[in-house]
Amino acid sequence: MRHYSAWSLLRARLAGNSHWQPLWSGQSLQQAYDVVVVGAGGHGLATAFHLARDHGIKRVAVLEKRLVGYGNVGRNTTIVRSNYLLPENHYFYEDSLRRYETLSRDLNYNVMYSPRGVVDLALSDDDFPGLARRGNALRLAGIDAELMNISALERFCPELEPRRSRRFPILGALVQRRGGTVRHDAVAWGYARAASALGVDIIEDCEVTGVRTRGEVATGVETNRGYVQAERIAFATAGHTGMIGTMLGVPLPIETHLLQAMVSEPVKPLLHTVLVYVAPGHAETYICQSDRGGLVMGGHLDGFPSYTREGQWDRLEDVVQGAVELLPQVGALRILRQWAGTNDMTMDGSPIIDRLRYDNVFVNAGWCYGGFKAIPASGAACARFVATGTAPDLIKAFRLSRFATGHLLDERGGGPFPARQ
Amino acid sequence: MSRLHCPFCGPRELREFRFHKTLPTEPGTAFAGIYERIDNPELSVEHWQHVEGCRGWLRVTRNPSSGAVLETRLLGGGVA
Repeated sequence: MRHYSAWSLLRARLAGNSHWQPLWSGQSLQQAYDVVVVGAGGHGLATAFHLARDHGIKRVAVLEKRLVGYGNVGRNTTIVRSNYLLPENHYFYEDSLRRYETLSRDLNYNVMYSPRGVVDLALSDDDFPGLARRGNALRLAGIDAELMNISALERFCPELEPRRSRRFPILGALVQRRGGTVRHDAVAWGYARAASALGVDIIEDCEVTGVRTRGEVATGVETNRGYVQAERIAFATAGHTGMIGTMLGVPLPIETHLLQAMVSEPVKPLLHTVLVYVAPGHAETYICQSDRGGLVMGGHLDGFPSYTREGQWDRLEDVVQGAVELLPQVGALRILRQWAGTNDMTMDGSPIIDRLRYDNVFVNAGWCYGGFKAIPASGAACARFVATGTAPDLIKAFRLSRFATGHLLDERGGGPFPARQ
Repeated sequence: MSRLHCPFCGPRELREFRFHKTLPTEPGTAFAGIYERIDNPELSVEHWQHVEGCRGWLRVTRNPSSGAVLETRLLGGGVA
């Protein structure tokens, strides 16, 4: 792997940009591996990278049904934050955010981390105590959170014009300044490049169709390219983990739902932060501006289980209505693209990292709509779990048995209704 | 999938309907019915309500992978 630096860029320019190499080269599928990771999304690639770098596991393969980054790592709205209420969640996501802060250096690949702040808007007096409670929980854990009144919000985000007359007036916000955005494709490519440089085989167009077992031990995976022997198997196929459960005959507390996002035509800078707006009777809208200038928007789930990756028109309408209510000036823009991703929705809205039926089969799943911001921490923790056989403290709460024992991590307190989360 | 066929009202936009999760009712099946799902990507039987129409309850059989609606029936034995 060629090391990227200012010097290497200059040298490439002087050489007429003719010597650029692929980020990762086409490796061939071997017959046996120490660890087979299924799914070359953010979590799978990060897990493979940490297995190779931190645990010295030499023979690692990442098998991908389609292309690197085809799934949700390339379909999210690129937002990273750690402002969760529950300690199990906020310590984990904080670990992830800290890793994002240094990820460009760790991978030697610019992932364009932009700490532009994540603003949760308060629209009523009732919103404030909820946001204050979350903010206080975060501050007690040493995570930055700032409860802003309208004057402070006006200083932080003047383009929002918080005092403008609105149907639902803005009263203040909970702000996490270190939250922001990260270039999503760069995360997938950066991990793939770094993992590949450490000797990880990244195999695209390789669909896992089954797991071969001997007694209570999994011995390898069946793929469309033949059988691959594996000491350990890690599934990182969020969005389709329900299918993995069906394949292994393991019931899971997961439903697959769609979440859509959309981007407007590019315009000059008009929004410097990430706004989260939940108006009464409306779907949620979150909106930020990409470096290219497009306004990236997303909202709630479509509301019923689906694998189609086709978003529903009415949800798109809801999200856009919220955006226009919030920033009337965006009403003049046209939507450029709209897309949807499949989400592993767990019954409590929190992820699952655990063994799956066999001692040497692991699953990294159930990321709901928060998988992108979790990638660095999930990769590191999952790799440690797979390598050592013991779950690190950071992810102990994400065990599968929590549903049976009642130790749910229900951030919203909404009950087992994924469609409404 | 952008429409559902309501037996009373005919084909209507999906936004008029609300999806309801089907919860187990038999005694002793509550935990398994909610938390132990065997996913079937080809078939899903669900309850929907035509909330912005006749408010009738429907049993909808769908294929979540293709989005095709296989069957829509009225619940409770009513006559459309």
